[in-house]
Amino acid sequence: MNTIQKKIWMLAGIVIVMMFAIWLALTFYNQKMQDQYNDILERYLQMNEVTASSQQTVTNLNDHLSNPTARSATTLVSSQQRLQDAQASLLELRNADNEFSLTNYSNMIESFTETVERSVTFSEQGENDIAASEFTEANRMSVYISEMTLSIFNSELRTYERFYRDIIRQSQELNTMGILLLSLTSVLLLLFTYLFSLSITKPVHQLTKAANELAKGRFDQPIRVNSNDEISFLAKTFDHMRVNINKLILEIQQKAQVESELQESQLLLQQSQMRHLQSQINPHFLFNTLNTLSKKAYLDGAEDTSDLLVSVAGLLRYNLKRLDHTVTLEEESHVLRQYMDIQKARFSDRLTFHIDLDASALVYQMPSLTLQPLIENAVIHGIEPKEDDGEIWFRIKDEDQHIRIEIEDNGEGMDRDKIEQLLKGGITPQEGHATGIGFANVAKRLQLFYGRDNVVEIESLPKCGTKIILKLPKVMEVESYV
Amino acid sequence: MRKKVIFVLCSLCAVLGFFTILSVNKVLNSEWELPSAVSSEQERKRIVLITQELDTPFWKLVGEGAASQAEREDVGFEIWGSYGKNQEDFLKQVEIALHSKVDGVIVQGNDTDEFQQLARIKAASYGIPIITVANDVPVEKSLRKTYVGSDHYAAGELLMEQLLDDMGDSGEIVLLGDGNLEYSERLRLNGMEESLKQYPEIRSIYIESGSSDEEAAAAAQSALNQHPNVDAFILLDIRQARVVMQEISSRTELEPFFLYSFDDGSDASELLTEGKLDAIIEQSPKEMGAKSVEMMMKWLRNEVVPLDSAGYVTDIRIVEGKDELP
Repeated sequence: MNTIQKKIWMLAGIVIVMMFAIWLALTFYNQKMQDQYNDILERYLQMNEVTASSQQTVTNLNDHLSNPTARSATTLVSSQQRLQDAQASLLELRNADNEFSLTNYSNMIESFTETVERSVTFSEQGENDIAASEFTEANRMSVYISEMTLSIFNSELRTYERFYRDIIRQSQELNTMGILLLSLTSVLLLLFTYLFSLSITKPVHQLTKAANELAKGRFDQPIRVNSNDEISFLAKTFDHMRVNINKLILEIQQKAQVESELQESQLLLQQSQMRHLQSQINPHFLFNTLNTLSKKAYLDGAEDTSDLLVSVAGLLRYNLKRLDHTVTLEEESHVLRQYMDIQKARFSDRLTFHIDLDASALVYQMPSLTLQPLIENAVIHGIEPKEDDGEIWFRIKDEDQHIRIEIEDNGEGMDRDKIEQLLKGGITPQEGHATGIGFANVAKRLQLFYGRDNVVEIESLPKCGTKIILKLPKVMEVESYV
Repeated sequence: MRKKVIFVLCSLCAVLGFFTILSVNKVLNSEWELPSAVSSEQERKRIVLITQELDTPFWKLVGEGAASQAEREDVGFEIWGSYGKNQEDFLKQVEIALHSKVDGVIVQGNDTDEFQQLARIKAASYGIPIITVANDVPVEKSLRKTYVGSDHYAAGELLMEQLLDDMGDSGEIVLLGDGNLEYSERLRLNGMEESLKQYPEIRSIYIESGSSDEEAAAAAQSALNQHPNVDAFILLDIRQARVVMQEISSRTELEPFFLYSFDDGSDASELLTEGKLDAIIEQSPKEMGAKSVEMMMKWLRNEVVPLDSAGYVTDIRIVEGKDELP
């Protein structure tokens, strides 16, 4: 993993290496140029040395001839030696262009030296006239040497002119190169610095954005940071935290949902218990009275009335006792028949009740008091508003996977909005119902009992009657469902 | 924004980088052409051609011939000399050449004591061979190895033949020549005089023309004054041809006179094409140059020892002026 520190070190390293390389190259180049300059100067100095030493030799020779002492002889020899050294170094200066003249030059020096030596020899032998003429000769040759030096200088200048101009142009180029190099380095550094700062600030920016998202409560977006330094570590940790928070929130939400469901069912339970209690007011008194009335009616010969009273008493008993128990379909449909007997007595010819049961389906269990409220609704909404010809169909069919129960009337019917409202429990039962249990209560209880939602369906159109369909799973032997 | 900045910086980098690379290339790849060094062990022979008339086309041709021959022989060769017959400078150059111990000196012969002194004593003491070219100096005076150039005596005779052709065998001719005649000019004069001896009808008068233009003009004047019946002028020194002709044409018609000269100056071919000169003796300067270098190399390589001290003669021919042509 690259750390930010490492990055900083790298940037500094690049800068230092760059500077060092440039410095090294320039120093090397400077040294090269300096050497070249030295070589050039050396050439001229060497040639000049020839002229100077030859002139000095002439002077020393003159001194020696006019006043020959050991000391003057030594100086003469030393100046001659100097001239010979200069001559030897001339060999190195030769090239294709000046070979001819330099050879001449060198030979001229040789001749000069010989003449000088001859002059000295003659002088030592006492032949001063010849020595003097040799001296004149030597002097003339020294002049020739100077002239030759100048002419060689000239030809050197001609030969090397382009070279010198190149050197001048070169140094100008060097200046341009320096400026270019400086600006290139600056721009490169700018670029590196920019990229470097970007590599630090960009992840920070991304992280800030992610933190803002979290602050706004959006825990579902993963945090991504394109980086490989400490920031990315931070981002990973941050992302881990986000995932954990997200999990916690989900857990809390689930808990809350469970709790609210619990509360709802408790409420429902309390409500039904309340009704249960309410309807238990003096139940024995009511039963006894109804029984007494039945017997009285029977004794008076009003057998229909007596039967009706028995039905009412049975219905009442069933209502009071069986709310929190399961019953078989058979029991439920028996109560239904009793209820319909009572209603027939009430409506006489206005109501026709059709019943159609599959005997095989009657053994299955279901919550008590589920069908009766539905039939009651059918009577209240389907039959009561009509003048006559009210009809109610009750069917139980044993289908493969479930039991299908249909309760159909030919009453007013309802539109789609009302169906929706009914299913959501938006309509509370009116006064005058036998049990006071509404449609929504029934639907809810069925859903809770079977643990599924699609138990109840309503098919209805305005003016065309209503059909309520229950699809009940086949359940046997359930003691209690609350 | 970020992309823009990076793009701008990158393109700046690219542009600057390009120019920097160009500049670095320029700095590093300098085309410094230094003359190639020479191996010091193998020394080439050095030959110098020295003349006192560097400015004339004749000597330029001699130089060309010698230089091309030197190149063929692969020897170091240089032409030294003075301009406009500068004696002093010329002698100095010869002396420098001798002191410089060149391997051979090819020189335009100069019939003076100083030159002979140098050639005899200095050259001998250094052991440097001397070959004269175009103008000779007698071997007994200069100890030259040989001479390469025209046979000037024959040239004089040839010119006289042409004169006789043109003029017939009677008449008066004036010979104009420098007071200080070169050896070669003397030979020409001798050649002419010898051949004229057979024709007693022809009277030749020799008039000294001096060395300057004024003196030459004066000489021409006096020739015309003293010898009004002159038929022909022969100019030993072609450098004086123009002055003399100007002088003549200022007095009378140029046409009736026969004018002859020897080609070793600048005006010769020009005057010939203008038709003012009737004929000149043309020499072979290129051949002289080449031959002299060749002989020098033969001597230095010990191929021909000794060289023929009588000299090696190059071609001469007569060239007639335009108006002579039918």
